[in-house]
Amino acid sequence: MAKYILKRLLRGLLSIVIVVGIVMVLIYSLLSRTKIFAEDEVYRKLQNNARTTYTYRKWQDYGYLDYVNYNDWLNQLLKDGKIDSDTRNEAGSLGRKEEDDDEVVAKYAKEFTEYYEGKGFQVERLKAITSRRKVAAGGQPELFAHKDRPLSSRLISYFSRIVTIDTIHYVDKDTDIGARGLTFTTHDPVYGREKFSPAIIGNGTKHKYLLYFDDKFPYLHQNLITVNLGTSYSVNKDHDVLETMLQTQGSYVTREMMFPSGHEEESADDLHTATYLAGSLEGSEMLQTRFVDDYTNTLTTKGGRSKIAFSFTCGILASLMAYALGLPLGVFMARHKDGLVDKLGTFYIVFIMAVPSLAYIFLFKAIGGSMGLPTTFDVNNGTALMYVLPIVSLALPSVANLMKWLRRYMIDQMNSDYVKFARSGGLSENEIFAKHILKNAAIPIVHGIPGTILGALTGAIITERVYTVPGTGNLLTQAINFYDNGVIVGVTMFYGLLSVVSIILGDVLMSVVDPRISFTNESR
Amino acid sequence: MKSELTNLKELGVPEEELFTIVEHSDVEAEKITAPRYSYWQSVFRVFFKKKINIVMLGLLLLIIVFAYVYPTLIEYNRYANITDSSTKHLMPAAAIQKFGFSLSWILGAGGSGEPTFDTVWVGSQISISLALMCALINLTIGILLGAVWGFSKKMDAFMMEVYNTIANIPYVLLISVLVLTLTASFWTMVFALTVTGWLGVAYFIRTQVIIIRDREYNLASRCLGTSIGRIAIRNILPFMTSVIVTMAATEIPSYISYEVFLSYIGIGLKEMSLGRLIFEAEPAMVTSGWQFEFWSPVVVASIIAVVLYVVGQNLGDASDPRTHM
Repeated sequence: MAKYILKRLLRGLLSIVIVVGIVMVLIYSLLSRTKIFAEDEVYRKLQNNARTTYTYRKWQDYGYLDYVNYNDWLNQLLKDGKIDSDTRNEAGSLGRKEEDDDEVVAKYAKEFTEYYEGKGFQVERLKAITSRRKVAAGGQPELFAHKDRPLSSRLISYFSRIVTIDTIHYVDKDTDIGARGLTFTTHDPVYGREKFSPAIIGNGTKHKYLLYFDDKFPYLHQNLITVNLGTSYSVNKDHDVLETMLQTQGSYVTREMMFPSGHEEESADDLHTATYLAGSLEGSEMLQTRFVDDYTNTLTTKGGRSKIAFSFTCGILASLMAYALGLPLGVFMARHKDGLVDKLGTFYIVFIMAVPSLAYIFLFKAIGGSMGLPTTFDVNNGTALMYVLPIVSLALPSVANLMKWLRRYMIDQMNSDYVKFARSGGLSENEIFAKHILKNAAIPIVHGIPGTILGALTGAIITERVYTVPGTGNLLTQAINFYDNGVIVGVTMFYGLLSVVSIILGDVLMSVVDPRISFTNESR
Repeated sequence: MKSELTNLKELGVPEEELFTIVEHSDVEAEKITAPRYSYWQSVFRVFFKKKINIVMLGLLLLIIVFAYVYPTLIEYNRYANITDSSTKHLMPAAAIQKFGFSLSWILGAGGSGEPTFDTVWVGSQISISLALMCALINLTIGILLGAVWGFSKKMDAFMMEVYNTIANIPYVLLISVLVLTLTASFWTMVFALTVTGWLGVAYFIRTQVIIIRDREYNLASRCLGTSIGRIAIRNILPFMTSVIVTMAATEIPSYISYEVFLSYIGIGLKEMSLGRLIFEAEPAMVTSGWQFEFWSPVVVASIIAVVLYVVGQNLGDASDPRTHM
C-alpha cells in the first residue's frame, strides 16, 4: 500500500510539474509582456533609454529574461578584484555614440559584448538621446545584454527554489556582520529577556529568529525552512504566495514592545519575523533608533485573520453543513422514493443544477439582506453573523450535489440481489437501509471527503466576491488582472498540490472504509 | 366432434369467422412478426405523455422567438436616449408612462435610458448562441474521441495522464489567458471554452463505453466476427443515445452559467451578453428603484437555463428505450 501511494504521489508530482510548465508557457509566451506595465506609474514617468532599461529590468524581475547591464557587470568585476575603482569609473562613462567611446570604454564594452554574445545573449547599445545638444531626460547611453529564459531553466529554477533552508551563509560573505552562527537562548530578547521563552537566533541567516514561541497558534514557530511558491510583484509586493495567504489582514494591532536597541514604543511590528535587508540600517535614521543590525525587515501584526483562515472557516463550515443536511435528505429521498420530499428535493436539485450559481447567490444575498443579516464582510470588527450568508451560499450547491448522488447510489443499490436476499431473510426496511444500502452507497461519497476538506483552503471565487470575503478565492483572478506572474504560478502550484493529495487521500480513505477495494495486486 | 360443428352452423356464424386451414409456406415461416416499433416515435410518445414537457417546450419556443426573432423586429440602440437624463433608471410604471405602452418598456429602463426588456433579449441571443456553439463543439469532439478512448487500451493509459494533468490547470486561468491574448470576441470565447472543455465530455463517454464494451452481447457479437466499427455504431451507440442527450441537457445550461460567471469576474465577452449585463448592473441590485435592471437578466438567464435543462433531461429519459414499455 505504501509503495502504491508513493508511486501515485510521484506521478501526481510529475503531473504538477507539467501543469506548472503549461501555465508558464501560457503566461510567459502567450501573453504580451508589455501588459505588465499597464498600471505601472514608474514606467509612465520614465522616458527614452531609461524607460527601455527599466522594462528590461522589470522583465527580469518578472522572470521573462536574464538581463545584465554594462555598469552592473563592471561593478561585479570591481568586486571580484579584476579591475580597480578608477578603471571602473573610466570604463563606465559610455560615449554618446559608439564611435565616441574612448579607448578604455571601447575595450571593456568590446569585452562585455563578446563575453555575453558568447553566452547566447543579445547585446544592445542605445545611443544617447539629445535635445538641444544636451542629453535628454532619461536619454543616457546604455549598453546591456539580455537573453530570454527558456522554459526548462525557468522550471528548474522554480522547483529548486521551492524549499529553502536558511543557513548562516545567507548574508553575502564579504559583509562584516560579526561572528556568524546560531545562538540558543532561554529568554527571548523580544520579551525583554524577562520571561522564560526559548528561541534560536541566527546571525548570517536570512531570518533572525529561526525558532521561537509566541502567543499565536501553533505557539512554536520556525523560520528555518521556508516554502516559496512564487514571489508577488504587484498583488502583495515582494511577498511569497503562501505568505500572502497566511498573513493577518485588517488594521494594525499595536502593543508596547522593546526594540533590539532598547528603544520602547507602541508598535505593530512583529520582531520575530525580522529578515536581513542589506544596508537598511545605514540608510535610515528611523531604523537606527530601533535596531542594532540589518535585520530590520519585519512583518506587522494585524487584527484580522489571514486569507486562508477566512476561506477555510467558511469552506469547512459550509461542508459540514452540506454533509449534515445532504446525507439525511438523500437517504430520506431514496427511502421514500416518489414521495413528497423526493419530489421537492428533485426540484431543488434541478434548480441548483440549472440556474447560474451567480443568480442564486444573489438571490440569497437579497433574502438574507432583507432579513437583516450582514451582506458584506468586515475584517476588523467581524461578528459571527457575517459568516452566515457566505456559508449558506457555499453549502447550497454542495447539499444538492450530495443529495443527488447519494439518492442515485442508494436507488441503484436497492435493486441488487443482496437487498432482495436481506428482505427475504426477514430484515426490516430500516435495518436494510441503515446497515446495508447506506454502507455501500456511501463509499463513493467517502471518496470526496478529503477533497472537500482540502478544497476549502482554495476558497470560492464568486461567493467571496459577492460577500467581499477577503479570502484566497480571489487571489488568482486578482493576480491575472495585475499580470502578477509569480502569484499565478504559485497559486496554480498550490491548487495542483491540493488536488493531487486529495485524490490520493480519497482513494486511501475509500480502501479503508471498504475492504473489498484494494490498490495492491497481491490479494488478487 | 361432428355434432359440435353442425351446432355452430346453426348459430348463424358467418363462414369467414370460422377457422380456416392455412397451407404451410416456407417464405411466411421465415418472417418474424412483432408489434411495430419505431425508436424516435416512441421517444416522442413518451416525451409528450408528460404534461410538463409540453409547457416547457412551449416556453423554449417562446424563448427562441424572443431571442432570435424579436431583436430583428425592433431597432435596438443602447444609446438612443443617452442624452436625456430623465429616461435613465426608470421603474416599469414610470417608463410606460414616459414612452407609452409597448413591450419594450414593461421591465423599465436601464442606466443609459435603454429598454431593459430589449436589452435582455439581445443579450440572451449572444448567450444562447455561445452555449449552443460550445456544447456542439465539445459534444462532437468529446463523443468521437471518448469512443476511441474507451475502446483503445493503449490510448486509455495515455489519455488518463493527459486528463489528470489538464484537470489541474485552473480553468479561470486558461480562459483568461486566452481571452487576454486574443481579443474578447465571441469566437475567442468559444475557443477558450472548448479548448479543454471536450476533455470532460470525452472522459465521461470513455467511462460509459468501458461499462458497455465488455457486456456479454458485445462479446458474443465480437465472437461472431463483427467489426469494431459496426459494434460501435450498431451495438453501443444506440445504448448511448439517452446518455448523450442527458449530457447535452446539462452541458448547454452549464455554458450559460459559465458565461455569466466569467463576465462577472471581468474576463467575459465584450458584447452585451447576459453575463455582462449582470456584471454591469450589479450596483443596481442594492439601489432602490433600479432592481429591475439587475434582476431581469438574472431571472431570464435562470429561466433559459432551467427550461433547457428540464427539456433536455426529460428528452434524455424518453430516449432511453427502457422507458418505452
